[in-house]
Amino acid sequence: MNKELTSIGGPVCNETLPAGLIFAEGQSLTHQNKEALWEIFEAIGTNWSNTIYNSNNQRSSWYEMLKAKTENAPNYAGEYVNAIYVINELKAMYGTGGAYKKLFFESGLDNSAPPTTRLAHCKIYVVNEFIRMQITAGGFKSWGTKYGGEQARNYHGFLGGTRYNRTPRVRAYDPDTNNLKNNQE
Amino acid sequence: MKNQFDYIIVGGGVAAATTAKGLLEHKHDTSILILEAGPEIIAKDRRFWWDYITRGERPYTFTYDQKFEADSTGNIDYQTDGVRVKAYGGSTMHWGAWCLRFRPEDFNLFTNTGEGADWPINYEDLETYYNDAEAFLSVCGDDNANWVPRSKPYPVPPFEWTAADGEMIKAWEQLDVVYQDGDINPGKKSKIQSGKMPIARYRKCMTTGTCKYCPIGGRFNAQYVLDDLKNDTRFINFEVRVNSPVHQVNVSSKSKIESVTYTDNLSGNEYTVKGSTIILASGAYNVPKLLRASKNEFWKDGIGNDHDLVGRFVVSHSMLNVVGKASSNPNGWFQEYDFPTLMSHSYNTKEHQKKGKIFMFKNRTTPNVDIAQLMIDGKTREEIDEIVYGEMTINIQAFLEEKGKHRNRLEAKPGKDRFGLPQTTVHFSRTEEEMKNANDRLKLLEQIIEKMGLEVTSSRVDKPGGHHTTGTARMGTSPENSVTDKFMKVHNTDNLYVCSNAAFPTGSAVNPTLTLTAMAFRLVNHLIEKQTNQTNSNTNNANKTNTIQECLSRESN
Ligand SMILES: Cc1cc2nc3c(=O)[nH]c(=O)nc-3n(C[C@H](O)[C@H](O)[C@H](O)COP(=O)(O)OP(=O)(O)OC[C@H]3O[C@@H](n4cnc5c(N)ncnc54)[C@H](O)[C@@H]3O)c2cc1C
Ligand code: SF4
Repeated sequence: MNKELTSIGGPVCNETLPAGLIFAEGQSLTHQNKEALWEIFEAIGTNWSNTIYNSNNQRSSWYEMLKAKTENAPNYAGEYVNAIYVINELKAMYGTGGAYKKLFFESGLDNSAPPTTRLAHCKIYVVNEFIRMQITAGGFKSWGTKYGGEQARNYHGFLGGTRYNRTPRVRAYDPDTNNLKNNQE
Repeated sequence: MKNQFDYIIVGGGVAAATTAKGLLEHKHDTSILILEAGPEIIAKDRRFWWDYITRGERPYTFTYDQKFEADSTGNIDYQTDGVRVKAYGGSTMHWGAWCLRFRPEDFNLFTNTGEGADWPINYEDLETYYNDAEAFLSVCGDDNANWVPRSKPYPVPPFEWTAADGEMIKAWEQLDVVYQDGDINPGKKSKIQSGKMPIARYRKCMTTGTCKYCPIGGRFNAQYVLDDLKNDTRFINFEVRVNSPVHQVNVSSKSKIESVTYTDNLSGNEYTVKGSTIILASGAYNVPKLLRASKNEFWKDGIGNDHDLVGRFVVSHSMLNVVGKASSNPNGWFQEYDFPTLMSHSYNTKEHQKKGKIFMFKNRTTPNVDIAQLMIDGKTREEIDEIVYGEMTINIQAFLEEKGKHRNRLEAKPGKDRFGLPQTTVHFSRTEEEMKNANDRLKLLEQIIEKMGLEVTSSRVDKPGGHHTTGTARMGTSPENSVTDKFMKVHNTDNLYVCSNAAFPTGSAVNPTLTLTAMAFRLVNHLIEKQTNQTNSNTNNANKTNTIQECLSRESN
């Protein structure tokens, strides 16, 4: 039986589930599954105007993460398939754009509580992890330039250089130009 | 299973790895057994790394001491839980890898202040081994820095200061050193100097900034060294047994150490293995516990404990921590690395020893905004922009040097942990004067924050803890004042060594591991010389016997 609907979505989103990872050992994702999941990743970029982030550059890293999470225990394939069901229901109810807006900004979920509905599973195991991955893999670069400042170059998890690279991998201290903005204030 | 070795090393951390590597490089067929209580946790695993990035989980935290396994008494809470990694590789699985040398005065604390202890060696005795240790750990440092004497350049250039370091550098440039009551030999007033933090990072480090679980092995981890040794076909007699806690060191006489007894945690079976030399590299917590647990007819209170000194004089660093706030951050700065880049040794000098030296640095994570968390919490782009360019906090921190005291002691308490190691209790108190000195030091940090134009929002002395524990089997000149001699050999034994921060008579104000690694290289050198002398004297004796026999046979002819 479904609980009374108190959050976004319909019966699929609000169906209760145990909080642990959905059991999926031995399962894998189809090509269509991956395309549907990629849409979520791209929607994160557009909804937060991650202007500098370029989803195509990130696609191979993102695939690598998916592979690591579905080919090693504990297997995320069940969570990923669940997320696709949830998005499908949200799209049916609110349209594509509306679905993501609801999911990202109006879910009403407590992100630190154990996820006990399909919607909460989708948000915590898939959306939140995709957000972290996207910021780490380049999304962070959108920040820093708003008031004419320098673009951030590094972030925890970002492969900011190669072993042959001698250019600074972070915004480094330059005594002449540092903090001009602050000094003007 | 083989049960006789040239060397048995207890513990599988950096001390063990350095010693084993040194001995094997010298003589490839040396037989060495490392016994490690904890399990093996894979490093550089992609799935572990992605779980760290997306979920903040690290695969080794389950090996940490739990609160109930480690308590403390005294007027200062001493933190053990959540600190030590008990696994193949030891605490280098998650260390910061800041690699700083002790300074010359650290070896003469008692002479200079009348408190704490002196080392039985000087800085000069260790200097060349520091060079070896820096090469081994691949330390990235600034050759122009002059805070400590050095005879060789660093092996790798330093990491640059980040833009966010700039404001603190400027504040330091403006501030005169403020001498405090109780300083001795204040000397010349000079400004606080900025330095670049020396960090152990291989050249392949590509700054992913997730150094607590580096995906590519850019940061030194003792596990990599042990793996290399195991895979090197030259070292056919090298073996590591994990899940194997040692609970007894056995003797055949007062001076002769014969074997160790351990349990195989997977089968529950107990084994005794013999070693010509036994090295305790089980960390500053477990060296004293193992010595005291090893009671026998020759050592009634545990090996090396005839003078009741094992586990005493425990010290660590307390962290001084001052947080400042600015109303805006128009450049959207954050500390882009996962390690600090800016430090100062202006208060890590001889004249500050009496009062307690401090080693200052801008902390490794501020300023920072967790953009992803704000997105997860449903904040919009506009709301996040406001936060990123809005209020900014910066922490300045410092390690405070503590002086070893007889009444402060680390010991076992009843009960074992999940790895079969005894649980811990630490008795730790500070004097009123030390508390006052610590608070005075905080005032200096507050001045720096204020000079940066920030408002001080918090100022505190954090508890000391297991991170940098030293002194629990300290070196000295005699069994009456110490547990080990100048080569870290337990007094009154022939063949039992300690290779650990436990042997340090003082903890300085800086992190211990570079000094530990230098001491391990020095130990290797000592063991090789001892072995060579022994071989020479055996050859001489054999020659003498031959000569006598030749004479006898000539005479009988
Ligand atoms: C969070 C953190 C950050 C740190 N950062 C820095 C830093 O930036 N710079 C620095 O210089 N230092 C740092 N340190 C300190 C550094 O980690 C230690 O100095 C160093 O790891 C000590 O190495 P070790 O080999 O002596 O001991 P350990 O690394 O503790 O290894 C000892 C091993 O022995 C095993 N063992 C214990 N008892 C037994 C037994 N009876 N039988 C078998 N095995 C046993 C343990 O399981 C353990 O794996 C940090 C420490 C922590 C906790
Ligand atoms: S900065 Fe990155 S590559 Fe370098 S040690 Fe840290 S995690 Fe590894």
